[in-house]
Amino acid sequence: MAEEDTLERVVKVTARVLDLDPETIQPNSNFVFDLGAESVQSVELVAAFEEEFGIEMDEDAALAVETVEGAAEFIARHLSK
Amino acid sequence: MTRTAISQETGVISKSGPSDEGLDLIFRPRSVAVLGVTNTPGTVPFDMFINVLIGRFNGTVYPVAPRKRHIAGVRAYDYVLDIPDPVDLAVLVFPGRVCEMALKQCGEKGIRAAVIISAGFREIGAEGAAREERIKAIAAEYGMRLIGPNCLGVINTEPDICLNASFARAMPAEGNIAFLSQSGALCTAVLDYAQGKDIGFSKFVSLGNKADVSEIDLLKFLATDPQTSVILLYLEEIRRGKELIEIARQVTGEIEHPKPILAIKGGRTAAGAAAAQSHTGALAASEIVCNAVFEQAGVIRCDSIEEMFDTGQLLAYQPLPVGNRIAIVTNAGGPGVMATDAAVERGLELATFAPETTARLKRPLPPTANLNNPIDLIGDARDDRYAAALEAVLDDPNVDQVLVILTPQSMTNIEGIAQAVCDVHTRCRQAGKPLVCSFMGAKDVVPGIQLLQRHGIPHYILPEWACDAMRDVMKYRSWLDRERTEIKWYDVDREAVASIINDAPEGYITEVEALRILGAYGFPLVDYELTQTAAEAVAAAERVGYPVVLRVVAPKVIHKFEMKGVILNLHDAAEVRNAYAAMRDNLLKHLNQEDIRGILVRKMIPAGKEVILGVSRDPVFGHVVMFGLGGIYVEAFKDVTFRLVPIRELTATDMVGELRTSAVLRGLRGEAPSDIASIADTLKRLSQLAADFPQIAELDINPLIVHPAGEGCHVADVRIRLGNG
Repeated sequence: MAEEDTLERVVKVTARVLDLDPETIQPNSNFVFDLGAESVQSVELVAAFEEEFGIEMDEDAALAVETVEGAAEFIARHLSK
Repeated sequence: MTRTAISQETGVISKSGPSDEGLDLIFRPRSVAVLGVTNTPGTVPFDMFINVLIGRFNGTVYPVAPRKRHIAGVRAYDYVLDIPDPVDLAVLVFPGRVCEMALKQCGEKGIRAAVIISAGFREIGAEGAAREERIKAIAAEYGMRLIGPNCLGVINTEPDICLNASFARAMPAEGNIAFLSQSGALCTAVLDYAQGKDIGFSKFVSLGNKADVSEIDLLKFLATDPQTSVILLYLEEIRRGKELIEIARQVTGEIEHPKPILAIKGGRTAAGAAAAQSHTGALAASEIVCNAVFEQAGVIRCDSIEEMFDTGQLLAYQPLPVGNRIAIVTNAGGPGVMATDAAVERGLELATFAPETTARLKRPLPPTANLNNPIDLIGDARDDRYAAALEAVLDDPNVDQVLVILTPQSMTNIEGIAQAVCDVHTRCRQAGKPLVCSFMGAKDVVPGIQLLQRHGIPHYILPEWACDAMRDVMKYRSWLDRERTEIKWYDVDREAVASIINDAPEGYITEVEALRILGAYGFPLVDYELTQTAAEAVAAAERVGYPVVLRVVAPKVIHKFEMKGVILNLHDAAEVRNAYAAMRDNLLKHLNQEDIRGILVRKMIPAGKEVILGVSRDPVFGHVVMFGLGGIYVEAFKDVTFRLVPIRELTATDMVGELRTSAVLRGLRGEAPSDIASIADTLKRLSQLAADFPQIAELDINPLIVHPAGEGCHVADVRIRLGNG
């Protein structure tokens, strides 16, 4: 499914930016609280998602997303527009 | 050691038994977890953690940094729940939006104290305010005390603790001054300022948004803190004003070892002024109320950080003087004269030396020196002359405090003189005589100043500033020495007032209702009757006795004189009848018949001094009573004084005495003094009325006419507004 594919790609990008093993990232992982994303890394994540999916996101709205599955849903909504 | 404790239920400080309000874990934790630490130097989360480490915290530190193995060489944990040992204090530096999750885990871990450094709460608007409410609820659920959020952190310099849980640049030196601030940025500036002046701290707290722990909790804690002897406070928002003032009053004067409090109150709103309709309300909206209530609590209010530390270091480093007699020792005549003027203007007294002192000074000083106060050692004085003069004045029983002034001439050995001052410092302390210096200049004098500051001798650039600090300290001395009196509660008819107030709608009540209220509380009134016809008015005048005054009773008429609703000095029935008809005809041009409740016939009050008494409800501190010289110019002259209710016996007399124009009441140019005792009595009754009936929003007695001593006073006019606004 497209959403599963989006989630997988979000996990992959997250693992790369935060230098983590993708196996340790859960859909409900919080970028900051569980994955230790620092503020600069959060901005880097947004940029990496935009590049991965070929989209442009509102930065404030994107930074307000807290979890991996939240990011996948946010991006999926963007892609469906 | 006997510790002073504060009841958590009543907020009253008692003389025995420890109580830390749950704050001990914040200041004296055995272990600290820092949650949200990163590996990026220069960021708050990293610097915060490093500060705990390099502050040489005497306990265990645990960084909680998800997915990081270590921070600065210390093993890190993904979650606080992963820490294998018990943790006393959690310091949260996570972004605000994840603090809820982090705090909840802290609660589950059994942590009972937290400091939330993170921003993103009430200060950012509604979303943040809701988040703040949620963290408050979490803290309450787990019985956790919480400092912040949105703060710089806390510091405790106690040698066996050494906790710097803040992102300030450096750990301050150990000292006996506690600093509490609502502004985090001000904290860093103050730390830097204090470092430059060798001023140390006992506790340093950035209060932030005060979601849980407030300045009130901290004052209670510091009251029992053996390391703290002086408390400095910077506040912008006071939420529980009355409670703050009560606690402050106890800390400054009532506990076993009282501690002075110096406060800066910034950002006081003037919004209340716009809403006020009475004289009292308009005047009470000013800063005067804040000044008055701080004074009522023994709090020294300062206008600047400089002033706060000028007085704070004198209180912290020097003994409290027993009196206001100062000796000035100087090598410069001009500054000596300036210092003399400044001292006298600030209520200090130049000591008159004992004959032995003057005799002792003769030998070491040159013939041209001035051996009287101020002692002028002459421009070429070196350390030997300073030492001899200081030894002599210290032994003089007529000297309570010493001010040393230096100006740098070519032959002045500045550091040598500073050392001479330091050498007598211990003796000053033993003698209970404060020693302060003013080495005037900005370059050559610096090494001398630094030497003084290292020895805890307060230094001021100008002698006038030294005198300012000495004046404030004397103010505190007077506060401690003041005669303590009780609150007087009169036997009054409270039910009668309750029935009037409970039945009345919000807004102004009629003059008749107001007079009934005052009558039930024993205010000095003259006889009056409400009448509906000219015949009734004449009959009433016969009963109350001529001369009389007629006053319209109509809720819509606020300014009776302007509407010709008052006619004075009527001596017989004919005058009453004519005046009654004239008043009624005139009023009916502006009002409907049903707007007029009647015409009050009241015995004319003999002439006397006009004063104003009032009540106003301050949005921060609650009800205050006001006293001032009365009449229509009261708002222009603003010669008024305020106190929180209820007032004590002596407070009422003090209020009368502290007006700039109080001499008018004491009698000028052969005039008989006014009956001040009767004013004080009326003020106490007013205070009781306001304390009993919080529904009173504003009350003006203007004027109260005061007669010569022994003849009392009478209420000439009163207005009362009921309501919550």
